[in-house]
Amino acid sequence: MITIDIMSRVPIYEQIIEQLETFVLKGILNVGDQIPSVRSLSIQLSINPNTIQKAYSELDRTGIIDTVPGKGSFIAKDAKANLRNQQGNQLKELSNIVEKLALAGISKEEIVDVINKVF
Amino acid sequence: MIKTNNLKKDFDGFTALTDVSCTIPKGCIYGMVGSNGAGKSTFLRLITGVYRPDKGTILIDDQPVYENPEVKAKMTYVPDELYFLQGANMNRMADFYKAIYEKFDDDRFHFLTNAFELDPKKSLGTFSKGMKRQAAIILALSCRPEYMFFDETFDGLDPVMRNLVKSLICKDVVESKVTCIITSHSLRELEDICDQLALLHKGGLVLESDIYNLKTSQFKIQVAFNYEYTEELFKEIDVHNIKKIGSVTNMIVKGGREETVKRLEELKPIILEVLPLTLEEVFTYEMDALGYNFDNILE
Repeated sequence: MITIDIMSRVPIYEQIIEQLETFVLKGILNVGDQIPSVRSLSIQLSINPNTIQKAYSELDRTGIIDTVPGKGSFIAKDAKANLRNQQGNQLKELSNIVEKLALAGISKEEIVDVINKVF
Repeated sequence: MIKTNNLKKDFDGFTALTDVSCTIPKGCIYGMVGSNGAGKSTFLRLITGVYRPDKGTILIDDQPVYENPEVKAKMTYVPDELYFLQGANMNRMADFYKAIYEKFDDDRFHFLTNAFELDPKKSLGTFSKGMKRQAAIILALSCRPEYMFFDETFDGLDPVMRNLVKSLICKDVVESKVTCIITSHSLRELEDICDQLALLHKGGLVLESDIYNLKTSQFKIQVAFNYEYTEELFKEIDVHNIKKIGSVTNMIVKGGREETVKRLEELKPIILEVLPLTLEEVFTYEMDALGYNFDNILE
């Protein structure tokens, strides 16, 4: 389910978090779905289990997953809502990018075009 | 837990290790890299009680190692230069270790020998270098130790084998909280399996850190401005390894990413590229700061 790009400069811990968050946002993982255990992911990907545990702890802290000792980790009830709140501050980044594009001479129409394509 | 304090080892006037202090907690996979001759193998031989330290202490679970069979029974060590009994095959070696290690796991030995497709009845002398290494790893894992030490073990395995061995180590760490020290020249290999990394140079511990920290607390930055400037411009930023050519400056910056980017954006750059460093780059830059570079050979 999860793949790691070993050539990427992005730390593995961040890659795991990003992937699981993307799966939740895209509806590939839904509330109550179980995600692989730290143990199985560690053995399957040959990655240090502490790294994976760290990622899972962070996801638990931000309310994306719930870990039930002895049972496993599951997508939390408010996962999508919590993610939406986090992504909210990406809008500021978008504003910065749009400003840079405008300065470079890209027209408003071109930018809106791109936004429309996404939706 | 492994704890060393001000470890020092000399050989005939040559100091192989000087003032090495570190703490390796239970369940940690500790990676150790260094220039050739930096002292990695000496360090492992001290930890396994093959050598006695000239100064300083080594404590494993609060017990000293040297000439302490009780502590040595908890560890296995796969050295860089492998040694097997004369004319032995894997079965013979398994019997040998079984007599020494109480927890030797026969089932595991057979399972791994099959999994690796090695013939335990064939003389180890007929094995290729890589197969000998695999045999040593199988024997080490079959002893079910609490501590495992691998000296440049991965460097002689093919990629498929490497992943298999890494998975087996991860399994032992996650199931039995085994503690490992792995030395290697390949930082790429250590990156995904280790949680801590130590850098040794000329017998001294230059750097010791959490791998995640190493990758996120410094960045490679390329920045350019359309006005005249000198390196003074960056005096408020923790800059290392700075190289300015014309209006473009490349540098390594230590610090938080967001804060650094904010500071640089205030200077109104026309180019600003921020990249995390690979562990190999971290190694190269740290060593460069110590004068270990060979650029002048290429001039």
